[in-house]
Order: sequence, then structure tokens, then C-alpha cells
Amino acid sequence: MSQQDILEFTLEAGRVLLANGGEIFRVQDTMQRIAHSYGAENFHVYVLTNGLFASLKGDEGAFSGEVRSVNVTNIHLKRIVAVNELSRAIERGGVPLEEAFARLRAIETMPGWPAWLRVLACGVGAAGFAYLYGGTPLDALAALLAGFALEPLRMFLARRGTNRFIENLLSSAFVAAVSVAVVQLMNLAGAACSIDKVIIGGIIALVPGIALTNGVRDIAGCDYLSGTIRGIEALLIGVAIALGVGFVLGLSAAVPGVIAV
Amino acid sequence: MIWQFMIQCVVSFAAVVAVAILFHGPKREWAACGLTGMVGWAVYWLAVQGGVSVVTASLLGALALALLSRVLAVVRRCPVTVFLTGGIFPLVPGAGIYYTVYAFIMGDNARALAKGVETLKIAGAIALGIVLVLALPKQMFGMLSAHGQQGPKPES
Repeated sequence: MSQQDILEFTLEAGRVLLANGGEIFRVQDTMQRIAHSYGAENFHVYVLTNGLFASLKGDEGAFSGEVRSVNVTNIHLKRIVAVNELSRAIERGGVPLEEAFARLRAIETMPGWPAWLRVLACGVGAAGFAYLYGGTPLDALAALLAGFALEPLRMFLARRGTNRFIENLLSSAFVAAVSVAVVQLMNLAGAACSIDKVIIGGIIALVPGIALTNGVRDIAGCDYLSGTIRGIEALLIGVAIALGVGFVLGLSAAVPGVIAV
Repeated sequence: MIWQFMIQCVVSFAAVVAVAILFHGPKREWAACGLTGMVGWAVYWLAVQGGVSVVTASLLGALALALLSRVLAVVRRCPVTVFLTGGIFPLVPGAGIYYTVYAFIMGDNARALAKGVETLKIAGAIALGIVLVLALPKQMFGMLSAHGQQGPKPES
């Protein structure tokens, strides 16, 4: 177990946490605990929203440093929980570094929930929020359909590695378009639906709840720079949603025969 | 009123569990996530019914939700993020974003501005609520873990 391996593992654990939506304080804290558990003295780490820097004083008194960059954060709570459990196990002792590496690799490739379940969840979530925001059960039904339509698009865009701003712009425009279409059809069929509740439910999977929460938590932990980055992200996502929805609303208002939005 | 309240609770529970699934929350914490979001929303809803402003109600909701998240984090031995992430969604001003844009598109700039400012205020209130609770010292929650040393068994 060389010092270099300890540094390597600590950074990798931090990277997995950060890339799956851990907040700065947790990442730093976990890395320090792990390094300490493996007997590393003089371990220093600095974490930003999109990068990790750590150094460790080697046996011969020489410092070694490493850097990791984390470009994309995709929230994956199962992986955060798993890294948390792994670091607790390491702290209790009895997890050799090799085994820890293997467990970390397994966490990194841990699958999320299957696509069908996420599509279902997106629909149910949209329907639920449409209702909570004052919609009727019929509005919730329309939002359910909008939610079902949204998730496959989001998965597709995420797989393509689309820029987050563009992803939210396209997704919100799409959800608004589907909502207008569904509401239009339902109204033609004689079932009165209000477009606002349907769209509000539909965009709930897009709203920057996590960026906002993590940004706030970073600032609460005095990581002002990272908090600012997340805050800007939350604001930009909000603007992207607004632009996407606004574009479709503006367009449908201009088309004669479409219900007054 | 009581029936309406029950329905609000059930729907918010289901909606927050859906969000937890969307962000790959572990199955054994689904119910706890749903509960957190439900409590946050219930506090918000009751406050609004009681005539409190939307912004203050959001602050109250965020306080309740963050407090419960911290308690659950200790009891379930699980990062607080897991509960906070889903639970926050009912309070996040998605509706505010929508109505701001809507007024803007319709050329009602005064209303767009008012709604935009309200949306930012709600976001600020949620942020404040979370910060206040997260700033509470760890020791306050420490005693909760005394009888839960083992914690839940990890699932595959």
C-alpha cells in the first residue's frame, strides 16, 4: 500500500461522489476520512464543483499531488449512499486498499433504475405536481401524458451528452408542446383542462431543485465559489425552462384556432 | 378541509417518491424520501391555507423539510442529500417560473416582473430555510443515533 495508491484511491472516491451529485463539504470530508483511515499524514484536499485537487506527503518526505476534473454532474443517489457506506467501512478498518478500489469500481458502474420505471416516475411526478399546484384530476391526467413523453427525450439528450442549457431548453419546449397538444385534444373532446397546471406539472422534472439545494448547501458550508457556480447553474436552468416554455406558448398564441393559453 | 389535507398529503408523498426514483434514490429510502417531501408540503399547504404569504410558507416548509431530513439522515445512517433532494421539489417555484414567462409572453411586463421577483424570493426563502437547519450543530441530532447503531441493512 504505497502513498501514491492512497492518494489515487482518495481522489477517485471523491470524484465518484462529486460526479454523482455529492456536495462539496461531503466530498472533502469523505476524502479526508479515507486518507486518515489509511494512515496518511499530511493529506490536503481542495474541492470545487468541477474539480478536485489533493496532495499527500510521501514516505520519503516528498509531496505528491493529483488533480481530477469533473465536467458533468448527474444525480445518482444510490451511488452517493454506496460511497458513504464504503467510507464508513474503511473508517471501521479492515478494508484493504485493493478491495476498496474494486468496490469503488463496482459503485461507479452501479446501474440506475430501469428506463420504464423512470418514465413511469416522471409521469406520476408530473401528474402529482399538477394536482398539488391546484390542477383538477383531468389536468393531472394530461400532465401524466406530458411526463411520459418527457423522460425518453431527457434520456436521449443525456446519452448524447447535450449541453445542460440546451437540454433544458429543448426539454421544456417539448413538454410545453406536448401539453398544448394534449390539452387541445382534451378540450375538443369536451374535457376542460387548464394548460398552466399541465405545463407546471410537466416541467417539474426539469426545475433546478437540486442545483439550488446543493448551491445553498455549499454556501452554508462556506464553499462560496462552488455555491456560486451551482447558483448560476440553477438560474441558467430556470432561464432555459422559461425560454423553452415561452417559445411554445408564444407560438401557440399566434396560431389561430389553438386555445387561448 | 381534513379530506383535502389528506389528499394533499397522499399526492405529495407519491410525487416525491417519483422524484426520488428519477434521481436513482435507493429503494429502502423511498418511503423516507416521500415522507420528507410530504411533511414539507403539508407545512407549506397549511400555512398558505392559514393566510400566510407564499414566500413565508416556503420558508416554513423548507425548515420543516430540512429538519426532518437531518433527523432521518442520523436515524437511517444515510447522507442528508438523499432526503433533501426529493423533498425539496414540491417547494421549488416551478409555477413561479411558468407564470413569469406567461405574463412576459403576453406583454404584461409589470406582472412578469412581480412574478419573477416572487419566484426569486421563494428560491431565497427555501435557501434560507435549508441553511438555517444545516447550521444547527451535529450534536443536536447525535442522541438519535444512540439506539440505531446498526442502521438498516444495505441492499444490493
